[in-house]
Amino acid sequence: MGIDRRTFIQLVTGGVVGSLFTPVIWKSLDDAAIWSQNWSWIPRLKYGAITEQASLSKFGASPCAEIVKSVGGSPYLTKGNEENEMSKGGVDPISASGPQLMYSPSRIDGPMKKVGEGKYESISWEDAEKLLSEKLAAVKGQKGKLAIVSGDSTGTASEVLSGFATEMGSSDCYLMPGEEQGATVALNSMGGNGQIGYDLDNADFILFVGADAMDSWGPVVRNQRVYSESRPTGGDITTKYLYAGAFLNNTAAASDKWIPVAPGTGSIFCLGLAYHMLKAGASASVSDFADFKTLVMSRFTPDKVEKAIGVKGADMAAIAKQLTAASAPVVVAGSEFGMGAGAADVIAASALNMLLGRVNKEGGMKILPNLPKAVDAAADRSELAAKDFAGYLAGVASGKVGTPDVMMVYEANPVYAMPQTEAMASALAKVPFFVSFSTFMDETASTADLIMPNPTNYERFDDAQTPYGIGAAMLSACAPVAEPLYNSKATVDVILGVASGLGIDLGYESAETVFQAKAEKAGADWDSLVEGAAYVSDSTESGTIKFAASVLSKAVVMPKGGEVALAPYSKLLNGSSTTAIPPLNVALVSKFELKGKDLLVQVNAKTAKKLGKSEGAMVKLSGAGGECTARIHINEGVMNDVIAAPLGFGHTAWDVYSSGKGDNISKILTVGTESGTGLSVWTSSFVSIA
Amino acid sequence: MEEKRTSKQCGGVLPFFIGVLASLIVGWWVFPQVIYSQKTQPIDFSHKVHVEGEGMDCESCHMFMEDGSFAGLPSNEQCAECHEDILGESKAEEVYVTEYLQKGVEVPWLVYQYQPDNVYFSHMAHQGFECTDCHPDVGNSDTLPTYYENRISGYSKQTMKMWQCERCHAEVGTSNACYVCHK
Repeated sequence: MGIDRRTFIQLVTGGVVGSLFTPVIWKSLDDAAIWSQNWSWIPRLKYGAITEQASLSKFGASPCAEIVKSVGGSPYLTKGNEENEMSKGGVDPISASGPQLMYSPSRIDGPMKKVGEGKYESISWEDAEKLLSEKLAAVKGQKGKLAIVSGDSTGTASEVLSGFATEMGSSDCYLMPGEEQGATVALNSMGGNGQIGYDLDNADFILFVGADAMDSWGPVVRNQRVYSESRPTGGDITTKYLYAGAFLNNTAAASDKWIPVAPGTGSIFCLGLAYHMLKAGASASVSDFADFKTLVMSRFTPDKVEKAIGVKGADMAAIAKQLTAASAPVVVAGSEFGMGAGAADVIAASALNMLLGRVNKEGGMKILPNLPKAVDAAADRSELAAKDFAGYLAGVASGKVGTPDVMMVYEANPVYAMPQTEAMASALAKVPFFVSFSTFMDETASTADLIMPNPTNYERFDDAQTPYGIGAAMLSACAPVAEPLYNSKATVDVILGVASGLGIDLGYESAETVFQAKAEKAGADWDSLVEGAAYVSDSTESGTIKFAASVLSKAVVMPKGGEVALAPYSKLLNGSSTTAIPPLNVALVSKFELKGKDLLVQVNAKTAKKLGKSEGAMVKLSGAGGECTARIHINEGVMNDVIAAPLGFGHTAWDVYSSGKGDNISKILTVGTESGTGLSVWTSSFVSIA
Repeated sequence: MEEKRTSKQCGGVLPFFIGVLASLIVGWWVFPQVIYSQKTQPIDFSHKVHVEGEGMDCESCHMFMEDGSFAGLPSNEQCAECHEDILGESKAEEVYVTEYLQKGVEVPWLVYQYQPDNVYFSHMAHQGFECTDCHPDVGNSDTLPTYYENRISGYSKQTMKMWQCERCHAEVGTSNACYVCHK
């Protein structure tokens, strides 16, 4: 029997039919389907022991003490550390995404040097440090040739940078603008030392003036926890909250009463209240009380205040009466977006606290000591906080201040977050050698000549001392909870190494020893700190503070009126000045702030009518330094002649989750100078709308 | 007519049945052997030595964590509690200590019941069952079973399939809703 075509077909047909009664086809299909679950580009879960370790997050505006959950050594979730007083068990919306940010597509995976516009080449750490050392060696000992700016206002890392600048012969070490700047200048003006804090935990009546305590002022998460503790659901309310500001923000919404006050007029509001208190007989045993009383009784009478800020005298008198009647009142002033307020607002609010007898009292305003320095050569914390980076950059931009040859930026994004952003960015662009120590490829890193990536807090040692606004001096610290994911190196270690090569001894050989020394000098137990406890000091600065009447008389200026004031606001959900909106938060952005890729700004119906704009209208906002485009959203939670605008949008770097969405309102903020203190201020920005 | 003759020459429908038979043999005997590759564990681990020799029980190494999650296989950290140095004369122990523990490398054990990432399996929810209802009974064995890896899917031959999960759930009255296992 031979095999012909028919036989072959029969054989094959039989084979096919037979195979239908075997598992070959069915199992192969099933296995192929399962195989398709494991293609190389599909992310895989990591398995292993689940552990919990204490850490510290600085992604948000104020440090958060956290518990980080890891699987097989990889962080995947974070929750508040209930045992730590710094954030009282809360986590801000950026820090909540901390473990995801660790794996962010915008992480910088190793040191890089610029080889062309927007082009970078990976280099080794050895080469990067050699390049930095060469540039620094060329400017060592020359005043004005090296500038450093840090976005970390609480960490000892900034002390290391400050000490390094001093030893290099530079006096240009700055912190990024924040609330503590104006408050420090205010305290200095009042003759005090240390740092201003507020014991909100024990207050029974809190008046926030401008300060958006629930989103941008002070230790935000802690403020929220204190609020919830004093107003438990279904329980007795133990603390009354009032908010004076231009916009019904989260603090206003959480308060018992919102008093509309135009942006940048907080000091007038406070001094208007002082008038009623003084009239009722309030006094203080302070050297310049008489000058203060004369100033207030002459320039801040009810009719003048009403004309300036629109709050009726009777309403002011009622608030003053409420404050006086409370057993533990406190007045807190600040910016509505966490920076740019100057010193006058804090001085004026402090004056109220002095008239109420609430300085260094439980539930009142506290003058807290700075913790001892770890780096001898560093500037005192107050001295560093008071330095005006915006003023320095404006000087560089205008040519009044010499451009440094080298600028180093640590944990900060000045190219994006400074007011009059474009002018400030152009000043930074003039620097011949610009170094970024960023963790992420932000706008600043994207323009740097050398990028030396810093690991996240989960991968390095770090600490945080007394965040601005908190009611007691304290210290928290963290040790790495995970191995570095990328080829990053802690900036403190980089600086210590480079300093050593330049013959500068900062007293330490590693970041860990710096933070340990800080803890030791503060009287804290290092092991307890890295296990999640906070060291809390109950001491306050002795001595009295004065009213700084002479500063107030110059710094407080009545608004001219007739213009549309800009009221920027910062919501942690939308990112902070250092961190762009995390991927997981994108879905939570309000439809009243971002529609598609268009930013929404908010005005009330009356202002919209005055401007001739309707809901959804596209407008161009022009400030002194730039322009923004946005759509109008009508919101009756905005006071007359004010336009409320969210910060945190309009990124041009980072990743697909944040880049190209909305516009950056910082561009249209107008930097002015506060008379009496010389500080740069930008809370009183006006815009024209077309 | 010519075609009819040819058909008869080749045995009528016999080729068809030969094809069927060949397929059945390949499908039921050859295919199940070919589709799996055989692998051995990286270390010749003896449960018997640990259970009978050292008096350890299953939970000494395969325990629940404080939060209820199952630790699965012991890590170097756990093994090092005893094996920081070589204790005996076993070649397997020497390999473990020198090639893995001292080099800080976790042992890449082959997991017989490894489930895909899209399956959320809770050992805590199944602790009423005997371990051996699902896992090979290796507690008193000196050697580990051969690991059969599916050449297409990459999974172990012993990996429980969804229909097996569903059958058991149905038998014990547990919901078979998607979200029970797929989060």
